[in-house]
Amino acid sequence: MPLRSAPLPRMAGHLSFMRAQTKAISDVRPGDLAVLGVPFEDTSAPYAGQSLAPRALRETSVYFGWHANPQFSHPVDIDARQDISTDGLHERLCDLGDFSMGSEDAVHATLRAVVTQINKIGACAVILGGSDHLSEKVQGALPMCQTAQLGGKPRDASGFHIAPVSESTTLTKTSNSARQLTELTEWRNTSRPLFVRFDLSVFETSLSALCDQPRLGGYDLDTVSHWLSALGQLDVSAIMLTGLNPSRPGMGVVKVGQRLMVTALLAFIYARLGFGIIPPTRQISKESVTT
Amino acid sequence: MTAAISTFDPPLSQPGYRLFDGPLRYVGDVSEGQIGVVGMPSDWTHSSRLGTRFGPDALRRATTLLQSMRPQGTSFDPDTGRRTMPATDWLADCGDAEIIAQDVDATTQAIGTMTEGLTAAGAIPLALGGDHYNSFPACLGYSRGLGKRAPNARFGYIQIDGHLDFSDSLGAWGSHNHATNARRISELPNIDVSNMVWVGIAGWVDGGDLALIEEQGGKVFSASDVHKLGPAEVMRRALAHAMRGCEELYLSIDIDAMDAGYLPGTGSIVHSGITPRQYYDLLDGLAEAPLGGLDIVEVSPPLDPSERTEFLAAEMLFRILRRFRTRSVTEL
Repeated sequence: MPLRSAPLPRMAGHLSFMRAQTKAISDVRPGDLAVLGVPFEDTSAPYAGQSLAPRALRETSVYFGWHANPQFSHPVDIDARQDISTDGLHERLCDLGDFSMGSEDAVHATLRAVVTQINKIGACAVILGGSDHLSEKVQGALPMCQTAQLGGKPRDASGFHIAPVSESTTLTKTSNSARQLTELTEWRNTSRPLFVRFDLSVFETSLSALCDQPRLGGYDLDTVSHWLSALGQLDVSAIMLTGLNPSRPGMGVVKVGQRLMVTALLAFIYARLGFGIIPPTRQISKESVTT
Repeated sequence: MTAAISTFDPPLSQPGYRLFDGPLRYVGDVSEGQIGVVGMPSDWTHSSRLGTRFGPDALRRATTLLQSMRPQGTSFDPDTGRRTMPATDWLADCGDAEIIAQDVDATTQAIGTMTEGLTAAGAIPLALGGDHYNSFPACLGYSRGLGKRAPNARFGYIQIDGHLDFSDSLGAWGSHNHATNARRISELPNIDVSNMVWVGIAGWVDGGDLALIEEQGGKVFSASDVHKLGPAEVMRRALAHAMRGCEELYLSIDIDAMDAGYLPGTGSIVHSGITPRQYYDLLDGLAEAPLGGLDIVEVSPPLDPSERTEFLAAEMLFRILRRFRTRSVTEL
């Protein structure tokens, strides 16, 4: 699909993540970032509405679709005073669309199959949830995978857990100092796939009211972005976004939660593609970034 | 047939709220040195999330309610360490401009005519948005009025904002919308880009727009600059830069420079990290600035069910208008 030749209002046109090209899974190439939505409702969640998250995340992501908007010259990170490269973004970021909802077993089987296939291709799955229960199915599709987790309920004691603080985990990180980033590289086993769980609850609760299970003591945007940038420099097989509920009573119109998540996810995407905006002193990768 | 009611003649009052519970007056009746309020209930020039057309009413209500809770007599102001009492007859509300949703030019002229009349008479126009495009017609009228009152005078410009709004055009909205207001203002005859300063810019900006500003001598302070330098220092530098060779200052307050976690009720949210306290300190830095005109924009009540946005914005007005609305007791 070619780049558009004229500006398009954000709410108009085909909705894809960051205005990325849409692809069939068979067309995904090694090194691609393949976005897929899982609009799945967790029936045990305290509020209904998680299934609306993939669409909300895509709608917000269009704000960052510079690469597909000929109106803009080039984006600049005004805080870092640094140009944001977009070279290759349009070629390597693609949107596979949403899962069709069926029976729970069918969804689980499909999710496992899709993640397995993307992993075999050598691409990275960017999964827009939805219920975080499905993250277990993603883990199941990545044999012997290691899990790095930002926010959410810790499910794997051997994983690398990044805020909020939990007493049940072995490695809990409350900041991203150089020492802790070094611990991440020491924890990482490059012979195993890496799965990143990114839950909205990693953010300080006062920054967003759109999380079903908010916790105090979370991170600010800058810290989460730096962690995701660090993780994005590793050979991640899949990242799953969970915890966003756009229909939280009275707060859906505010859209703060999805903006926080997508803004932070950009750091991951940019690091994954090899053109980060994070200062080199904050980068710690020992793995080669797929190019 | 209903008989005409001729015996019931109650004293009538203006329905609704006025800013700071001030009197309602025609533009021509506002005095020199007074603040003249102009409502701009228009959001047709915003590109995504609407609702700012309800902003002027929300600001009028919030300032009136907050004012009613403040001391009505002499009191100690903890922010300035001074004893003050409320000023009288310092502000008049001129109501709303005529907004014609399908006609940007007519709306522009309607707003501009009001702020021009106020400025030419020596009053200080305070325009209430509306989306940020409306800052252009408000400043257009100010520029014209200044040209009448002081033909050789030039004005500096400070925009506190999460965004530059310096695009020449924006997609389907063309050249007149909430992303082009600063660019249109830069084209007015009695201002130069080198006297324009942006404060609080966050996230990503268009590199071409940024380069154009800086090549022409404009100054941009990011949200990070506010964190690193402190709001007082940033505003000291901003004011010094804006006022070089200028007699007056036009201030555009876009509330969206404040972090969306605090202030979600606005069309184009940013996660800038500027806190309410920092924002107020920025405005306090303009306490003695030679304000010629100002606007406050992007208050969108439907986007914030908690209503805290309009009260945060109202407090911004309390800050920037402190020297008008209070008198030091030593002055009495």
